[in-house]
Amino acid sequence: MNMRESLTTTAPAARFGIGGPVGSGKTALVERLIPALLERGVDLAVITNDLVTAEDAERLRRSGLIDPERVSAVEAGACPHTIIREDPTLNIEAADALERRFPGVELILLESGGDNLASTFSLDLTDFWIFVIDVSGGDDIPRKRGPGVLKADALVINKTDLAPHVGVDLARMEEEACAVRGGRPVLMTDCRHGHGIDALVELIETRVLFRR
Amino acid sequence: MLRIHGIIGASDAPDLHAALHRLEHRDGVEYLFVPAHEAGRKRFRLTTDRGTDCAVSIDRDQALFDGAVLLLEEDRAIVARFGAQEIWRLKARDGAAALQLGWQAGNLHWRVRFDGTVLEVLLDGDRGAYRARITELIESGLVEELSDDAREELRRHG
Repeated sequence: MNMRESLTTTAPAARFGIGGPVGSGKTALVERLIPALLERGVDLAVITNDLVTAEDAERLRRSGLIDPERVSAVEAGACPHTIIREDPTLNIEAADALERRFPGVELILLESGGDNLASTFSLDLTDFWIFVIDVSGGDDIPRKRGPGVLKADALVINKTDLAPHVGVDLARMEEEACAVRGGRPVLMTDCRHGHGIDALVELIETRVLFRR
Repeated sequence: MLRIHGIIGASDAPDLHAALHRLEHRDGVEYLFVPAHEAGRKRFRLTTDRGTDCAVSIDRDQALFDGAVLLLEEDRAIVARFGAQEIWRLKARDGAAALQLGWQAGNLHWRVRFDGTVLEVLLDGDRGAYRARITELIESGLVEELSDDAREELRRHG
């Protein structure tokens, strides 16, 4: 690896967006990512977006997984996509504040409030973003070609453990997801049991943190 | 992986232009082709035309531009080049049609700009996916798709 020595002090923290429908498991995924990233020595902070509360932020602060000071809450007060795409100023300010408070922070996870399939992140806010759907929402979701499914840097299909209980053909769902995304990354996760998390962390290390 | 942070300057700036010119004679300039719809990124990983795997980041207050010099060394330079932005040009038949077209474009969060009476949509993906959203407007004749030639004709004759 050819790397300039000064990079660790000059490059700003990478900003990683996590979007997806209500109940798809975004917060559960963050709860899996935090220990996995900390274990790899990633200097981390988190921003959660909720509609009119700090529910998800409080859940993470109480989890014991991360220093509560490193979790910021942003309340959208309106449709969640308005503060990750149309005017992401509130989230940009929250991320800037975390970088000021924790110099050297490498990665900021930014969890959107639950939204619909049209939800996308502004590149002004995030460097890389994933869209999380789950099998219990229906295996036809990839075929519906929502902008979130198509445009995300990576698509995560969560709750794979539920597939047999909700009549979903998981292999076909994955195949259709890969097809509509033209071969761009599709990952399968089961946050309840921690399956698939390592693959996502490796993607973050490679594409976002540039560690590999 | 070659880790790069920040933009050194523009390739047409006099001092950099001279340095790049010298390197070109030694076959030392590599180009990093950035797709137009990716140009807004502050952090990305791409491979140059010579196969160098580049992990690039820029400061939050910087913007990547066509011709940005990202690396300048004794025997090598790396310059960012943008692909051409694909643009879909649309002309509404009358004011009422223009209102409908404008409403659709806004509601769909399309990136647009205006060229006189022509709405220019900056495409981030397949044109067919965009056209599908306003098929009725096009097929009913309320909105016309313009070719580049038609755009020039409009400019000349209004």
